[in-house]
Amino acid sequence: MLSRDGWGGLVAAAASLLLFWLTLGLKDNPLVPIGPGFYPRIVLGLTALLSLGLLVSDFFAKKPPRHEARANYFAVALHFAVFGLYVAALPALGFRIATFAYVAAANALMDRPRGAKGWARVALIASATALATWLVFERELLVLLPRGRWTDF
Amino acid sequence: MYELLFAAIGNVAQAKYLVPLACGTLAGVVGGALPGVTITMTIIVVLPFTFGLDPLQGLAAMTGVYVGGSAGGLITAVLLGIPGTPSAIATTFDGHPMARKGEPGRAVWLGVWASFFGGLLGGVFLIGATEPLARIALEFGPWEFFSLFVLALSMVAGLVGTSLLKGLIAGMLGLMVTVLGSDPVMGQERLTLGIPALAGGIDFLPVLIGVFAFSQIMGDLERHGAAAHASAAIRAASLAASQLKVIWEILSRPFLLLWSSFIGVVIGVLPAIGGSAANVMAYDQAKKFSRRPEKFGSGIPEGIVASESSNNANVGGSLVTIMAFGIPGDAVTAVMLGALTIHGIQSGPLFISQNAQLAYGIFAAYLLAHPIMVLILAVMARWILRIVTVPKAALFPVVLVLCVIGAYALNNTMANVYILLAFGLLGYAMVKSGFPLAPFILGVILGDQIEINLVRAIMTDANPWLFLTRPISGGLLLASILSFAAAVWQHRRAKRREGESVEADF
Repeated sequence: MLSRDGWGGLVAAAASLLLFWLTLGLKDNPLVPIGPGFYPRIVLGLTALLSLGLLVSDFFAKKPPRHEARANYFAVALHFAVFGLYVAALPALGFRIATFAYVAAANALMDRPRGAKGWARVALIASATALATWLVFERELLVLLPRGRWTDF
Repeated sequence: MYELLFAAIGNVAQAKYLVPLACGTLAGVVGGALPGVTITMTIIVVLPFTFGLDPLQGLAAMTGVYVGGSAGGLITAVLLGIPGTPSAIATTFDGHPMARKGEPGRAVWLGVWASFFGGLLGGVFLIGATEPLARIALEFGPWEFFSLFVLALSMVAGLVGTSLLKGLIAGMLGLMVTVLGSDPVMGQERLTLGIPALAGGIDFLPVLIGVFAFSQIMGDLERHGAAAHASAAIRAASLAASQLKVIWEILSRPFLLLWSSFIGVVIGVLPAIGGSAANVMAYDQAKKFSRRPEKFGSGIPEGIVASESSNNANVGGSLVTIMAFGIPGDAVTAVMLGALTIHGIQSGPLFISQNAQLAYGIFAAYLLAHPIMVLILAVMARWILRIVTVPKAALFPVVLVLCVIGAYALNNTMANVYILLAFGLLGYAMVKSGFPLAPFILGVILGDQIEINLVRAIMTDANPWLFLTRPISGGLLLASILSFAAAVWQHRRAKRREGESVEADF
């Protein structure tokens, strides 16, 4: 049975071997005696070797029972999902609307609001973040932020 | 040199540069004081604000964050016993007991002034050593640069984390990121995996932001939830203390101050080790040299002085490696390197000769950031203590929004935001699997340079033995083998000790 080290080694070995295989199809450049695949093959070959080393050492290692502190992986998965939705919504809704929605959702999920006062606080933080970042970056620092394809806002 | 320095101090003292420097220092102090928010995260948050500024304004702000953050971590370390940043870990050992004994003001100000003096000593090294080291590096050919980068990577892979193999794999994974997209020598497309956005390669800043921000925020969320660190103790603490008495307490221990600062500088020069190691090592050394080692941990000033002077001196050392060799000393200087590239400035041995005004501007900003940091803590400590109690539920989404802006604004494309998310997931997975992030990031930063110098060396002369027979290149490769051997020995010794302690339990 593999531990996290073994799985990590397996994934890294698989990725590096796949990329190594892809380098075999790279064409040499007539201007440079060393082709574009020369260095990647060294890197990917070494990575594959080291990763396989980790996999093998994990396979044969004695594994003492792990005593891990309880971790809230559900909260982590939820926040990655919310952030993923935010990233997906940015080009469609635009920076201001997507940011308002994301900050409100993330804030409410991390610290559930109690009553109308709690929700008002969430709305205030979300609108202040969206507005302040937009004003500072677009108006003051002239950094263009994403416009919404659907909203043009 | 001194003429340039004084001219740069006069230049940075103008409002145009002083305001970003002061804002950066304030952001650093606040970010450093917030438990769970490191200096790296603070500088990532500040990065997008520098896009609209001129290079010196942006770098002054970042230097301020670095200096302020190294000092800010001591506030919660002293008052709560929770280090605001890893570079303040050893400050808790004596700072918190001193605060609990009813002297929180003395403990905080000992830390602040020790940071000030340690930082200035680091500045002396920064100003004195950067130019001579850059001059040495100017003599380097592609063989030497290749070997230097290999040395940096092998040192980091060996020194961080608990497993040497994982450190090496993390470094190789970083190099793997740089082989995707395009060949840096001829710009030929390769390994794009059918993704058009990869055609130009992967920018290292979204990778760095994603990896560090997500691993930290999600790690914190997983362990503690988003509860605030609100504490009645922190709000009620009085920071009143006699400044002259505190300064005398530090200056009356000149050997301790000098030795701790020296340790900080040396650790800073070594790539990617950083203040977290410097403060613990300086504390350990202070204890070994002390006439009363048994008192360490009970709230004595020596412990605070050693820890805080070393972590601020460390900043000076880290800036030397980036300015002389173009190798980031830690994640903070890696972001600064990114800021330089955004403005089209190449760091490395030519940096100081080609951009003397900017280089001396950074020196000046570094020196001026220290009195500004003391001033900020003197005037605003009360408000900073209130900010420290901000709930993370409000803070974390704002930080991630700023990360998105930082990634998006690099090229005004969503591709960088997708890269941010992808590497955020990868960074979190790496941390959960025990792979250290420092070698990975260094691999991402140095990958292109390693390839360029390797190809250049082979194109100049196809004889591979030149890497070994050229004296500096051979010396650097020998140093990487020695550092690798030392890491193997260190890891084996640690494992043996672990085994012995397990046996003793039975």
